[in-house]
Amino acid sequence: MEDYLKINYEKYKLANGLEVILYQDKNLPLVGVNIWYRVGSANEKEGKTGYAHLFEHMMFQGSKNIPKQMHFQYVQEAGGNLNGSTSLDRTNYFETVPSNFLEMALWLESDRMGFLLEALDQEKLNNQIDVVKNERRQRYENAPYGLAWEILFSDLYPPDHPYHWPTIGWMKDISNISLDDVKYFFQTYYSPNNACLVVGGDFNIDETKNLIEQYFGTIPRGEDISNITTDNIHLEKNILVVHEDNVQLPRIYITWHSTKAFSEEDAVMDILADILGGSKNSIIQKSLVFEKEIAQQVSIFQHSSRLNGCFIIVATAKPGVPLDQIKNEIFNEINKLIENGITDNELTRSKNGIKSSFIYSMQNLENMVDRINEYNFYLGEPDYFIKDLERYQKITDENVKQAAAKYLQQPYVELKIIPKNGMEMKG
Amino acid sequence: MIDRSRKPKAKEGIYFRLPNIAKHESDNGLKVLYVKKKNLPIVQINLILNAGSKFDPDEKKGLANLFSAMFDEGAGEYDAFQLSNEIEMLGSVLHVSSDQDCIYVSLLSIEENFKRSFELLSKILTTPRFDENDFQREKRKALVRILQSKDEPSYVASIVFEKIVFGDDHPYSSPEFGLSGTVGNIENEDLKEFYKSYIIPNDSTMVVVGSVDKERIEDLEEQFLDDWKFKTHSLKRLPSPKEPKRKIYLVHKDDAPQSEIRIGHLSSPRNSKDYYAKYVMNMILGGQFTSRINLNLREQKGYTYGAHSSFNFNKEAAYFSVSTSVNSENTLDAIKEIINELGGIRQQITREELYLAKSSIIRKYPSIFETYGYIARNLTTKVIHDLPDDYFNTYIRNIQNVSLDDALKAAQDNIHTDNMIIVVVGNSNILRNRLSQLSNYELVELDTDGNEVK
Repeated sequence: MEDYLKINYEKYKLANGLEVILYQDKNLPLVGVNIWYRVGSANEKEGKTGYAHLFEHMMFQGSKNIPKQMHFQYVQEAGGNLNGSTSLDRTNYFETVPSNFLEMALWLESDRMGFLLEALDQEKLNNQIDVVKNERRQRYENAPYGLAWEILFSDLYPPDHPYHWPTIGWMKDISNISLDDVKYFFQTYYSPNNACLVVGGDFNIDETKNLIEQYFGTIPRGEDISNITTDNIHLEKNILVVHEDNVQLPRIYITWHSTKAFSEEDAVMDILADILGGSKNSIIQKSLVFEKEIAQQVSIFQHSSRLNGCFIIVATAKPGVPLDQIKNEIFNEINKLIENGITDNELTRSKNGIKSSFIYSMQNLENMVDRINEYNFYLGEPDYFIKDLERYQKITDENVKQAAAKYLQQPYVELKIIPKNGMEMKG
Repeated sequence: MIDRSRKPKAKEGIYFRLPNIAKHESDNGLKVLYVKKKNLPIVQINLILNAGSKFDPDEKKGLANLFSAMFDEGAGEYDAFQLSNEIEMLGSVLHVSSDQDCIYVSLLSIEENFKRSFELLSKILTTPRFDENDFQREKRKALVRILQSKDEPSYVASIVFEKIVFGDDHPYSSPEFGLSGTVGNIENEDLKEFYKSYIIPNDSTMVVVGSVDKERIEDLEEQFLDDWKFKTHSLKRLPSPKEPKRKIYLVHKDDAPQSEIRIGHLSSPRNSKDYYAKYVMNMILGGQFTSRINLNLREQKGYTYGAHSSFNFNKEAAYFSVSTSVNSENTLDAIKEIINELGGIRQQITREELYLAKSSIIRKYPSIFETYGYIARNLTTKVIHDLPDDYFNTYIRNIQNVSLDDALKAAQDNIHTDNMIIVVVGNSNILRNRLSQLSNYELVELDTDGNEVK
């Protein structure tokens, strides 16, 4: 099976510092173009949040040679799919187009990397500020439990930590973003030496190298950006937050600091999350949802980024069940695991699921080129697929037990979201 | 040197071959559609069972949905936990879902574990357990899910819209999950009866996309599905829904910063002659990012994060709708803009717009066959709507053949601006007075189940 995870690629750097990775897959007449800029909401400051994400929107508003709306139109006319996304650590842009439109995709991406400011104006900015405010309303403020993540992160990380605020930004900050701020953001972070371009799919290597040189090679290098660093972080004591929302059922979130992406224990925490909550037979789900029926839903995951990671347990109460009862059961199960470890069956089941999911995830070109960029971003190894799978396959029951003991006995943030106009029901 | 001021030309055309679809019918009447694909060692199966919520008895709405939640809770010698463990040990993903027309069982597995995965799937089809404990638990879960669904404004807007557009006595008007009262009436015996009546091979189709040979699939069917027997039964066709009266409906949500909007009306079925013209026309109107409605509401006005329109096809009836979520302040303005756009497309479509829409649809065609799952999904659509065997081969030609007149006529015939219903879920304290100013639309206030608030 490892044959399928082995990919051939070529990686090189242009004189201006742009990293380029080429990956051929001639299975279908498609190409995927995917750029990661090494900038995310972690590069913002308290009081000026939401820039990285708003900036992602401005990148679709046209550039020197591409009028407003034409970026979308050109890609759609070609039958392509496109999008972008912003996280704590990075911003990505991608399109998958029929392979005969590769040059057009490179033209579009290079024009906004090199010549965005010529086309930027206040009217476009005002429009996208309104759009992003509506995005914030739709995805967070008007969504049930939608504010949970920003509450958790702002309590887990202190105000001067770069993960303290939500990626979309605080509403008041979004309104205050100025054109000068946006220009400064572009000049500082959107340089070729702060980006990596992946081209994947059905294309000719020499021809494509030549096109990349012509379209991207002439964009001037920007100032070097040094990576953000932070001190190790931990909570002194438990933090309890109660938040009222427009919901029918109370929900509890318990969150610990854990470990950062691709660190030694990151994969162990993924497996721990799966064994605790990933399926009908997982420990906490089985106990809370199926046997005791005190929770309607449970989800558990390791959320890891470049600087830090956290481990999150979420459980929605059945009507009339107090959240503290759910919390007690969760800790009972965790304590049992720390004491007794896990079974062979649990570990094998989790590993088998992960192994298959690696193969399933290779079906889609957009996903592949993004994964290649991700591996390059974190590890400098675009073909990390096999090693990534090995991270999971080599884990022992002792690893899982120890990681649980190390991280889940530390102080945590506990968030209770309770229905408005009602009290949390006592059992 | 490159000239950045010009869009680079596309290279010569690409070569793309449609997957070859083989079909056969087993002795028990099960139809099989099969596509061989072997770039990865994966097999994807979609089983389409003609057994959706439209068949639910009035007093037991939610039956098909509860059946789908229970179908894989144990089979043969395995109880619910054991069965789930067996499947996950293989790294396979088995999923049962339902909609108003059908129940779907999907199975994704890697080739080396396919045989055993298929055996487990077969056990579900032939010897489901319906253990009483599992039933009681899944029923309680279903009831809580109905309670929770009131939290989600987009869900409330959609079910209220469907209730009104299909009309109260039509089977498609009820939410697939059912209502608290009706789910409460369902007993385990009802599921067992449902299984006997609807889960029958001669009314089902299995779509297989994978790296294994067709003969292998036939062997496995013989080996594991032998007990699934042919059974005669007849299904009634649904009556045609009646066109509802033009009105605007308001559902209150406390402190909502946005309003969920649905605007639309009943529409002609999937097999209508002008399907392709409608599809191209909708691409111009609201089917993609650069469509008129999204460019107006998002990129010009900034009222929303996104707005789109679509023709929604159930098997036996269809409707057209525009959906968006806008900030409370601009709700009335947004509704007026949508109504303007719907009127506008009946007046004029430009040659440029027609070209762009057709180009987008045609050139996207190879990519909708990219993954095992995408191909299976396309074949599933073919099965649900009983599309002709040459459907995929003639698709591009049919899109190409849509003329400017066809597209304009499709708008005039299929966008009924004079008889639409509008549903808004939002803060009625802000919206009530404003929405009552919309001329020609009587304002009616509803609760989250779509019942009138007196």
